[in-house]
Amino acid sequence: MALGTMSAQITDFSNRADPYPLYAALRKSPVTRQDDGSYLVSTYYEVRSLANDPRLSNDLRNRAPGAGGPAVAEEDTNLPPSFLFHDPPEHDRLRNTTMRPFGPPHSPRFLHDMRDDIARIITDLLDALDGKDEVDVVEDFAYPLPVTAICRILGVPREDEPRFHGWADIVASVLDPSQGKEKVQDARRELGAYLSDLIEAKRRHPGSGILGPLAQETGPNGSMSTAELASTSMLLLIAGHETTVNLISNATLTLLRHPDILKRFQTEPGLVVPLVEEVLRYEPPVQFIPFTVALSDIDIAGTTIPKGAQVWLLLASANRDPKRFEDPDRFDPDREDNQHLGFYTGIHYCFGAPLARMEAQLALPHLFRRIKNPRLMADPPPYRANPVLRGPRHLPVAIDGLAA
Amino acid sequence: MRLVVDLNRCQGFAQCAFLAPDVFVLHGGEALLFTSRFDEGLRDQVEQAAAACPVQAVLVDFSDEPAKGAEGHVG
Repeated sequence: MALGTMSAQITDFSNRADPYPLYAALRKSPVTRQDDGSYLVSTYYEVRSLANDPRLSNDLRNRAPGAGGPAVAEEDTNLPPSFLFHDPPEHDRLRNTTMRPFGPPHSPRFLHDMRDDIARIITDLLDALDGKDEVDVVEDFAYPLPVTAICRILGVPREDEPRFHGWADIVASVLDPSQGKEKVQDARRELGAYLSDLIEAKRRHPGSGILGPLAQETGPNGSMSTAELASTSMLLLIAGHETTVNLISNATLTLLRHPDILKRFQTEPGLVVPLVEEVLRYEPPVQFIPFTVALSDIDIAGTTIPKGAQVWLLLASANRDPKRFEDPDRFDPDREDNQHLGFYTGIHYCFGAPLARMEAQLALPHLFRRIKNPRLMADPPPYRANPVLRGPRHLPVAIDGLAA
Repeated sequence: MRLVVDLNRCQGFAQCAFLAPDVFVLHGGEALLFTSRFDEGLRDQVEQAAAACPVQAVLVDFSDEPAKGAEGHVG
């Protein structure tokens, strides 16, 4: 396998259902230079080390002029970059401000208090499956849940939720290095305009959700601008949407491929807690971070990554590194010391990780308690084009009806 | 039931304080306070918090729980 074409192979759709042999080949060398001058990092300790290295930047403005590598996210002239694409101190200002209404130390119970709301969304989605003998777990369940949840988190009015579904779908493909940009730009513009209006309305009438208190931060003495808040909201929508869809879909698929574990899960719903962590290791919803840039020469594992080079951190590969995880290709919810990189690590650790965990930990026991005798109808199922936010496009499952 | 946080491992990801707000409390940006003894009613929260810790710094001992016998459990 020519190493110069590895990144092309990873993004090649024909490898979407099972990219893991490619990662195994890459791991023969922790760091691999591509012909276009970008570097792929595939092993656990090296990925973790670089994710915590301040010499690696998420700010796209640090890319060397004419640097190679794939198209990257958020190349958008209308809105400033979100905190995912900033380094400290700007990253910290934006992320800490956003955290105030969302989590500890200022709002430690905000998410915890949303549990019942999220459980109700799940129950409603499952109730709607009554009378069916075939369900598409993506379309009917995994897909509508996170977008509804993120709307409640942000405080988007219920009547606007359907418009959000449409935008979310298009805008999420921005993280896909193989996708065209025009359609995405249009959707981003529309969504950006909608969010700016919503922030304006929330400034006067905060209502529920985090946008109300955050809108108060956009005043003259506040800690972020309206454009920065619109950009942050868009990040939360994208990052909180397709990733969670994939987490629930990947977990469902993995359970249906492991009938012994599924059987145990059905009598032992508490297994969901370590099970979700193991899915995050074994089939992570975000496969790799393709957009970091070296701010100076970085020596790692016998290679020097030169200043200005684009660096891909292959989280899904690191999670299968046999140097860190025993028998890494085995799905084992009883695995101990599971320090997976499914939510990344370091300062860009997934902002919404607690929400994703809550959604998945509620959704999976409900789903597998309700659907009777689930059978996978296509294996592998059809996948979405996106190699970064990787997951099934559809997940058709035959069932013998719905339990009450 | 008891727990301890290995503060040499803890890196302040705060996942425990999200998932078990009755047990773990963040003071300011970094200081973590926690209740080392907890009741059965908080068991789910603690299990979620321990599993979610990205560096596995939350160590839980369920050994005084009758149903589970004397099996020690390190989260």
